[in-house]
Amino acid sequence: MKQYLAIIAMDIKLALRLRAVIFFNFLFPLIFFFTFATVLRGEPGAMTFVVTMSVTLGVLGSGFFGAGIRAIQEREMNILRRYRVTPITPAPLLVGSMVTGWVIFLPYIVLLLLMAHFLYHMPLPSHFFQLLLFISLGLIAFRSLGLVIASVANTMQEGTILVQLFYFPMLLLSGATFPAEKFPRVMRIIHNFVPATYLVQGMQNIMVKGQGLMEKQNLAAAGVMVLTIVGGMLISMKLFRWEKEEKIRGSAKLWVFAVLAPFFAMGIWKWFQT
Amino acid sequence: MSESPVIRVEQLQKTYDKVEAVKGIDFEVAEGEVFGLLGPNGAGKTSTIEILEGLRPRTGGNAQVLGFDPDRQNQQLKDRIGVCLQATNLPAKMRVQEALELFGSFYTRSISSEQLLKRLQLWEKRAAFYETLSGGQKQRLALALALVNDPQLLFLDEPTTGLDPQIRLEIHGLIEEMKAEKRTVVLTTHYIEEAERLCDRVAIIDEGKIVAMGTPRELQQKSQEQSRIDILCGQPMNAAALPQWPDALESRLSEDGKSLTVYSSRPARTLFEIMKWLDQQGMQLEDVHLKRPTLEDVFVELTGKKLRD
Repeated sequence: MKQYLAIIAMDIKLALRLRAVIFFNFLFPLIFFFTFATVLRGEPGAMTFVVTMSVTLGVLGSGFFGAGIRAIQEREMNILRRYRVTPITPAPLLVGSMVTGWVIFLPYIVLLLLMAHFLYHMPLPSHFFQLLLFISLGLIAFRSLGLVIASVANTMQEGTILVQLFYFPMLLLSGATFPAEKFPRVMRIIHNFVPATYLVQGMQNIMVKGQGLMEKQNLAAAGVMVLTIVGGMLISMKLFRWEKEEKIRGSAKLWVFAVLAPFFAMGIWKWFQT
Repeated sequence: MSESPVIRVEQLQKTYDKVEAVKGIDFEVAEGEVFGLLGPNGAGKTSTIEILEGLRPRTGGNAQVLGFDPDRQNQQLKDRIGVCLQATNLPAKMRVQEALELFGSFYTRSISSEQLLKRLQLWEKRAAFYETLSGGQKQRLALALALVNDPQLLFLDEPTTGLDPQIRLEIHGLIEEMKAEKRTVVLTTHYIEEAERLCDRVAIIDEGKIVAMGTPRELQQKSQEQSRIDILCGQPMNAAALPQWPDALESRLSEDGKSLTVYSSRPARTLFEIMKWLDQQGMQLEDVHLKRPTLEDVFVELTGKKLRD
């Protein structure tokens, strides 16, 4: 436990000292928030759309860049090599990354919801804490996915390509940046297979429809995220590499799809439902 | 060798795919000894040391470090040893004292960061970010991290590579302090003067095999190279009057007759005879220089390579 606490405390300090973390976690989503909130002010339902978009941007940024790219950087810069000669195992480093992301991101979510309420008159969700819990699960699930990507990428270049392959489709096809109802039929099918869709839908269900986390659809989405967290942790621990010289075979990249399997299962379920 | 060596290695082998990096080596390291692994890049010394640190599994043979099997008990082993690796880094925005406290928390036993920082002359830099440290300060911090669990066995892998001579001397001083504290040190290096100055015993490793092992002096004595004696006199010597010195293989007199160079297999005896002769001749001695074969000479003889090849 001493190791976990020390790693988490240090990770939080380091994250708050990095301008890139502050930018991608706070400033970048806030710029979107204020821009879209100002443009769409007064339109019915606009603020929940803006909040959902800003949260999704933050969650995906935290997962792919904050957890994934940073883990690759630490390996490439021989930082993990220094840890390797100590008795520490990968578990505290991976858990530390998850917890740090959550500790840093949660105040941002609260701030965003309060700003949307006090500055733009968005009603606060009736299940406020369930919303925070749902977003927290989403954040940790996407950080978990980011760490799996870091585990299967042999170089920073590979990692960046993989991250972009997941980040942009999730941003564009999840309904976070464009309303999914306006998608053509084929895109709506693809939309159901995009993991971030379930984060966006869950947030909208809680904020717009006033649903709780125990509603069947939200519970299923939360369950899928929990499975992703557990699967992602196990896969990251299995594939963890301390040194950039330790290369992983190309077929190991298929593990990314293994961690996404619960989301694909949800996609198939949705497809049959429609 | 003591009855229970700190490290015992028997027929150690390491193979990467089809490349045999370590080809069945044997050695022991006694408690309190500074043991050097000397060899060019790719000789197998880093593979050997990383197996002993529990970082890589061996392909064959046996290894015992502090009574632990590095393959099967590597967590217990890592808790008891200190390691200073080549080319490691810390996060740019980590402060010096924070690094020591963080790494100290990984071990079951650790010593105070304040004590270590003062000892390694980093106290003034305790609040500095890692990215602002000079190369020498980073290396001192690496040594401090290796000492954070107060280990009795230290592995120092090329601890001075890439550092300027002044910093290298500082690091040598620190290693000598560790030696004075009776810590066992395993050191890899390709700086010959480092091995000569710091090591009690040296194993010369080449192409995965130990080609010679002993104290630096024993290895130098095994050399086929001759010691070289240079004499400079105030007046010219008479070439025709030069005697055949005992154990000398060759003598050369300079054109002006003032400089004499003698190659000898037993330089102390030869030098004594030269001094006696010069005195008898009433010659005024201005300078004398004796150069013994170095470990580098031994290494070249044994392997046909330069250490930094």
